[in-house]
Amino acid sequence: MLWLCLRLPQLAREAQAISTAAAMERLAAWAYQWSSQVSYRLSDPPLLWLELGASEHLFGGYAALLEQVQAGLTQLKLSHVCALAPSPHGAALLTQAERQRCVYTRPQLRLRLEPLPLEWLELPIEVIGALQSAGLRNIGQLLALPAAAIARRFGPQTCRYLRQLLGQQSDPRTAWQLPSTYQARCEFGCELRETTALLFPLQRLLLEFQGYLRGRDCAVLRFTLKLEHYRLPASDLTIGLSAPGREAAQFLQLVRERLHNLVLPAPVCGLCLEALEFTAPGIVQADLFGSPAQQLQQLQLLLDRLRARLGADQVQSLALKPDYRPERAWDYAPPLQTRSGRDCTVADDYQPARPCFLATQLQRVAPPARLLSGPERIESGWWDRADAARDYYIALAEDGARLWVFRNLSDGGWYLQGLWT
Amino acid sequence: MKPPPATLEQLTRLCQNGDWNREPKPALPSGFAELDAHLPGGGWPCGAIAELISDALGIGELGLLMPALSSLVRAGRYIAWITPPYLPYAPALAQRGLPPERMLLIRAQTLQQSLWATEQALRCPAIGAVLSWPAYIVDRNVRRLQLAAEAAGTVGFLYRPPEAARESSPAALRLRLQAAFDGILIEIKKSRGGRAGARLQCPHSNALAVPTPAAARA
Repeated sequence: MLWLCLRLPQLAREAQAISTAAAMERLAAWAYQWSSQVSYRLSDPPLLWLELGASEHLFGGYAALLEQVQAGLTQLKLSHVCALAPSPHGAALLTQAERQRCVYTRPQLRLRLEPLPLEWLELPIEVIGALQSAGLRNIGQLLALPAAAIARRFGPQTCRYLRQLLGQQSDPRTAWQLPSTYQARCEFGCELRETTALLFPLQRLLLEFQGYLRGRDCAVLRFTLKLEHYRLPASDLTIGLSAPGREAAQFLQLVRERLHNLVLPAPVCGLCLEALEFTAPGIVQADLFGSPAQQLQQLQLLLDRLRARLGADQVQSLALKPDYRPERAWDYAPPLQTRSGRDCTVADDYQPARPCFLATQLQRVAPPARLLSGPERIESGWWDRADAARDYYIALAEDGARLWVFRNLSDGGWYLQGLWT
Repeated sequence: MKPPPATLEQLTRLCQNGDWNREPKPALPSGFAELDAHLPGGGWPCGAIAELISDALGIGELGLLMPALSSLVRAGRYIAWITPPYLPYAPALAQRGLPPERMLLIRAQTLQQSLWATEQALRCPAIGAVLSWPAYIVDRNVRRLQLAAEAAGTVGFLYRPPEAARESSPAALRLRLQAAFDGILIEIKKSRGGRAGARLQCPHSNALAVPTPAAARA
């Protein structure tokens, strides 16, 4: 077993006492991507432990793993001190050292600890005081004393601590458990009036979220971002994706598009990220030649961006419907759906040609001067109260446009239905 | 110092691409032999913007693209329609070989949004062609779109009002479209790597694209 201890002095400074716990919860969720045994302590400064012995092989050695963790912390813009030792207490103690903070075996740990000052030990102040008045200065001198004498003088718990420090006795800790839903909050010390100012704290929230998703090996289709206001209900932004995603960069891009045309009702004093449903990640491997799957993924990213900026219903695809009335022979459809059910195009070969442009609403027009072809009679719809009885013609307008017009047999009026273009 | 071009073929490439070592850019056959003969590479330029300056709506300016679009869809690509003035009619598109589920209809509230959407669509490799009807744009906007199209190799068709014919534009191809008896009159205003000034007439495509029942059975 090898424990990585992270000392995070900046976290305590940034957050108030209440939100330090929340920040540590988020950080534990983030750290879960590297280790299944994560624990933390809300001391001053806060400490976070990860057991790395079990994950070393997966990530290609301690050095590579340590580099990844540190790169992640730098991305989160958190100042930190890392230490690696075979025991949790040992790692925590070594975070106070100036250098040589990584030891891999128990004999090495003992050698490393011996010259360190006595007051770094996590023992009660009176114990330290008593030891110092007995003339002891460093940890090595204490460790040289017989264990039975220490136990008699300072109690068995001191002796246990020293054995745990050296890794000679097990140090069981309750492993932190991943929550089944994700909720992360962060409060600002001041009120933010600009949406661009939100991007910095947002980036950290989303990176932590990415760590959680990687740790659980899952992805999301939607998550909610709440912009909290003072004395006003929070503004909710629901970010939807067309394919399961778990990349912070992708999330940030979508949120940025949404924030781009958002007008804040009031200054923002906090952010909250919530995800309640998770799905299996659909990871597409990168391919040297642009494969169809990769193309589809790029299209999904495009659709997400367009929806985020323009609105969800502004991006549509089309579908055919079996109806004789031209305005009902089609419908909008959500994009990226393969044709389902009955294949309507089979009948199309036997249908008369149709124009490419359809008017959004029927416009009443004057009787056309020049008719190029027709009539084609369409009578249908007696069953749904939208009865149509029409004679369709192609008419030539003065500017050379070819119009698709019909004469309504019931009222004798002429209407423009589309353009032959 | 580069050596001067040695052959006539290299000289042609130099005129077309500005570099005689580079292969000519791929083109997308338009499906109209008369038009292809006048376009460099024999078709719509890939990775570029083509401006279609149409005198009126409904003179066949969309039919001109149908054979090219249908070949793109057969190759598995999608077609983006950005703020069209009328609804693209799904049954008609299906008749011309464009399955409706391959169409992406994008609406935007403002000109800025529609230009942004056009650029995003042009940059996506899954999209074969982008058809856009921006309200009023200046050459700076067109240049931006032209760069986006060059980056991804997509064809962008910009429909512009007749007033645009008087202005200059960085688009690779500019065509002026006018109604003619039984067809559409095309005047090539600008053609990068080709010759401008030609006038030609193409027939309406819907007359030939619709298979008769006998042809469909065969």
